[in-house]
Amino acid sequence: MRTNRLLPLAAAAALLLSACGGGESVDTGGGGGGGDDVLIAAVSAEPDQFDPHVTNAYASFQVLENVYDTLVVPSAEDLTMQPSLAESWTTSPDGLSWTFTLRDGVPFHDGSEFDSADVVYSFNRIIDEELTNAYRFATVSDVTAPDPRTVVVTLTEPTPNLLAQIGSFKGMAIVSENAAEEFDLQSEANGTGPFRLESSDANATVLTAFDEHWGGAPSIDGVEFRYITEPTAALTALRNGEIQWTDNVPPQNVADLEGDDEVELGSVTSVEYFYMSMNYAVPPFDNRDVRRAIATAVDREEVTQAARFGAAQPNQTAIPQGSPWYLDYAPFTPDQEAARQLLEQAGVQTPITMGLMVTDESPETVAAAQVIASQLEPIGIDVEIQEEDLATWLDRQSEGEFDAFMLSWIGNIDPADFYENQHLSTGGSNYQGYSNPQVDDLLSRAATEPDQAARKALYDQAAQLVVDDVSYLYLYNPDEVQAWAPGLTGYQVRADAAIDFQNVELP
Amino acid sequence: MTQLPAPGATPAAPPPAEPLPTTTPARPRWRETLGLLARNPTAAVSATVLVLIVLVAVFDETLAPYGPNEQDPSLQLQPPSRDHPFGTDEFGRDVFSRVILGAGTSLRVGFLSVAFALVVGTLIGLVAGYYGRWVDDTLMRLMDVLFAFPAVLLAIAIVAIRGAGPANAILAIGIVYVPIFARVTRASVLGVREEVYVRASRSVGASDWRLITRHVLPNAAPPIIVQTSVSLAFAVLAEAALSFLGLGPRRPNPSWGLMLADGRGFIEQAWWYAVFPGLAIVVTVLCFNLLGDGLRDVLDPRQRTLMAGGGR
Repeated sequence: MRTNRLLPLAAAAALLLSACGGGESVDTGGGGGGGDDVLIAAVSAEPDQFDPHVTNAYASFQVLENVYDTLVVPSAEDLTMQPSLAESWTTSPDGLSWTFTLRDGVPFHDGSEFDSADVVYSFNRIIDEELTNAYRFATVSDVTAPDPRTVVVTLTEPTPNLLAQIGSFKGMAIVSENAAEEFDLQSEANGTGPFRLESSDANATVLTAFDEHWGGAPSIDGVEFRYITEPTAALTALRNGEIQWTDNVPPQNVADLEGDDEVELGSVTSVEYFYMSMNYAVPPFDNRDVRRAIATAVDREEVTQAARFGAAQPNQTAIPQGSPWYLDYAPFTPDQEAARQLLEQAGVQTPITMGLMVTDESPETVAAAQVIASQLEPIGIDVEIQEEDLATWLDRQSEGEFDAFMLSWIGNIDPADFYENQHLSTGGSNYQGYSNPQVDDLLSRAATEPDQAARKALYDQAAQLVVDDVSYLYLYNPDEVQAWAPGLTGYQVRADAAIDFQNVELP
Repeated sequence: MTQLPAPGATPAAPPPAEPLPTTTPARPRWRETLGLLARNPTAAVSATVLVLIVLVAVFDETLAPYGPNEQDPSLQLQPPSRDHPFGTDEFGRDVFSRVILGAGTSLRVGFLSVAFALVVGTLIGLVAGYYGRWVDDTLMRLMDVLFAFPAVLLAIAIVAIRGAGPANAILAIGIVYVPIFARVTRASVLGVREEVYVRASRSVGASDWRLITRHVLPNAAPPIIVQTSVSLAFAVLAEAALSFLGLGPRRPNPSWGLMLADGRGFIEQAWWYAVFPGLAIVVTVLCFNLLGDGLRDVLDPRQRTLMAGGGR
């Protein structure tokens, strides 16, 4: 179960993954929020802090999603960018200047009025202090406010995915001007979202409805997030009525739950992807044929079945089916005979040993590794499964001390988020050491290509090379599975795993 | 040379076959012990079951109908059936085969770690008890330090420092049980050391080595034997605990503790996954314990007379 996904792709440690949540027990005493209609939601980990511009933890964003707004926001249906705090925007013909018209009459939680100065302050805070998501503003040269309702973003080069860069998730949230001086953003919040942050401690984080919200008052009085690490415990709490919602659902229970009257289930293929990667600096894995032999021997259907009990989509590329950026490309058909021939062709003396590094904090990888080990054994590759704690895992990854490793990323929305950091020669997360000038060229051209169709074509070409070279051996996109009490309405499971309780109504 | 009959129930002790503290006092006594053990039903049953488990561990690959990692995705989490008497796990592996193949891991770690503790602990106890004074003080205070840590906690700490794996698990569990053997041996040696036959032997010029191997050790052995059986129970349990925590053998090697850990998550859908490895641990540990109890009854002279007199 993922616990503490660090959100995406930051150059540094955007390793999306679970860190062991503290293992708190269920607090059955109802220390609720303001009114009676409080939604009690169980999440698997406690937020590390509440500064949206600093945190990298999924547990924090689960809460912040309901507290802050961004200029634009991904739609629940297909993750295309929709107006939020910005009502509309225009792009200059050269693509170097974007003008945003802001919504009128938006109050912050402290009563002050939202205007363009808040946007300038928020963006400059991220850029000037080089906070977690500063890399998303890499092409931004200037953010100005000609009048209270207008913000102009000036760029050094065309950035067709600017909307995704500033709106994918609440890491680019708009805080009130000088919020960092007026509030302790680590533990307080002053946003424009539908809920205000009331309190947070080791047992729960409590939100209360913000009735003056620009999109209308939420239908519930508040939300209480409780931390339940064990998925089975979360499910039991849901059945008992202690909680009304959870995203901590054991994959092996999904099939049973589908026919269960006591629990309602929502599921959608997420933008997360699991992959395996081999070290280009360690022979024989530097040999393309060896990597292709391994990619040919792996049967993704079997991996998915054992690791996710079918609650996932096998995929040979990163971007899930259903995304407008999806590429239908599956060059590998599981075939052990062909794999053996490829190995022979490569001139490799079998048996060879391959250490496969996984982490117990992502149990799916431990399961997937065992399936892959049994699939590679017949072609003469002896897989030694190395289970490490996440800290050691990350150390070994950055030191390059591995034959192969396995984990997942939340790819998010734009294809740049899926490929740049991992497969550019200079990519911050290119730990495998992949370097293909053609891919570098395609990715950098795609980054500035204004035409959507042409841009997709470039990313498609890059993705095909990445798959063919087996820079990553892509495995599957897991389903985002969430469960709630029957009768709870107005909630929708999203592919980007953002949790939005604004329109929820309790049974 | 000079062998005086031991007082009490112990007839003259012939030279032990090995230099190690083994169970070889006089043959008649050995037979007598076995006979008494056979008349103790719990011990007899336990011993039989243990022999069976050892046989299973020895012939594991012949007995297991499937390989430990033979996967079949179409047979995920199947309940017990004729083909799979203990059901299958999430990879479609046969739980029955894995329980059989896990016996070897558990017993190997159990036996080797206890052997380590037995050799090292007995040696320390012998030296401490026989020479006394500062040797005794130094060694036994060292043992006290080790003894102060809770057993499993100490084992976890050792494995955490040295890294996970069966070899380190053996070493860790071995080290944890050294002090127990040292104490038991020392206590026993202290009693034997002042016996008339030992003093007599010393007075005619027998060397320390000869005294220890010929007289002291054989006569101090019974409590050590009992301790060995009881320790085996704890060692198997400790191995399971370490494996459960991921500090023993690596996946996908079959190991009872690991299977228990993995099966725990499926207890609602597939009880057999955790229950059968759990049962294997329970039966093995219980049998070693009961056998230890039986041995104590038989080897403790007072208790023994009572039993020979026909009753329990």
